[in-house]
Amino acid sequence: MKKLLLLLAFATTLFAQGVKVPDAEQFVGPPKGQPVTGALLDEQANQTAGLLRCPVCQGMSVADSPSEMAVNMKHQVRDLIARGYTQEQILRYFERSYGQFVLLKPKFQGVNTLVWILPIVALAVGIFAIFSMMGKGGSQPVDEPPASAADEDPYLAEVRKLTGKQS
Amino acid sequence: MNRIVLIAGILITIALVVVLAAGLGKDPQHIDSQLIGKEAPDFALKAVGTGETIDLTQFRGKPLVVNFWATWCRPCYEEHPVLVANAQMMQGQVQFLGVVFQDKEEKIQQFLNERGTAYPTLVDMGGKTAIAYGVGGVPETFFLNKNGKVVAKFEGPIDPDTLQQNVRKAMTQ
Repeated sequence: MKKLLLLLAFATTLFAQGVKVPDAEQFVGPPKGQPVTGALLDEQANQTAGLLRCPVCQGMSVADSPSEMAVNMKHQVRDLIARGYTQEQILRYFERSYGQFVLLKPKFQGVNTLVWILPIVALAVGIFAIFSMMGKGGSQPVDEPPASAADEDPYLAEVRKLTGKQS
Repeated sequence: MNRIVLIAGILITIALVVVLAAGLGKDPQHIDSQLIGKEAPDFALKAVGTGETIDLTQFRGKPLVVNFWATWCRPCYEEHPVLVANAQMMQGQVQFLGVVFQDKEEKIQQFLNERGTAYPTLVDMGGKTAIAYGVGGVPETFFLNKNGKVVAKFEGPIDPDTLQQNVRKAMTQ
């Protein structure tokens, strides 16, 4: 509540000075949801910030990063949820500025489709290869015993032939 | 069967090498601007020193150079003289604006007193303007044409040639 009042006071000060910052409404329209407050606001803000990549960090989410840029983004996410913006609208707003780079979970479209499909294809190919090899292994003929020295020696073979012995 | 596994392995390895090679050649901090070809987000921010509110829309009809920077950013010290010299040279033809975020007004004022300036420097409290422009780090410079459309973006300390090249783009597109 205290944070919300501070945010309101900050916004009022900006307005009084004639300061105008770009607003989400200009890009993603009016809020589609209901204003959120209290613990639910914290929870939803954290969840949404967790889906956004911090632009100045190495693979960290906005929720996890302590950088000032991420903190500013987190404040903005919180502010938008408090005003009733949905998660989809908020992600779209940030995507409009930073592109798909800002989304930690890539969208199922374009080249990104490969990110979702390739692991499944690789797994299927692997399973197929393993089962094929196992199947082939079971029906393989038993190897012939190595030829004995007698089979290779024509003299010995001739003696065996004459005496009628086979081994 | 072995041949199929071998071919599949080779194909997967080639794909991986291609993806890795493409990724290694890229700056991990580089963000393609989504604003190129679009109208720049409007803002009206307080100018350092004068306290006057400067609205982006008041410069419609003139190409604009919007430079995001901060006093804690070392490369910004490097590019500041380039921006000031060009702003003086192109006065009347091109409007330059500095937007500072994640900073303190006293520090900005001190920086400008020591190094001089030739254009308004605005304070972006809370960084909302920087976020709307997709700024990932400082310095970053946006070039707007006379209709307020973003025609180019440059990341890092800008040199005179690149600045001139992008200004020409803003004047002609």
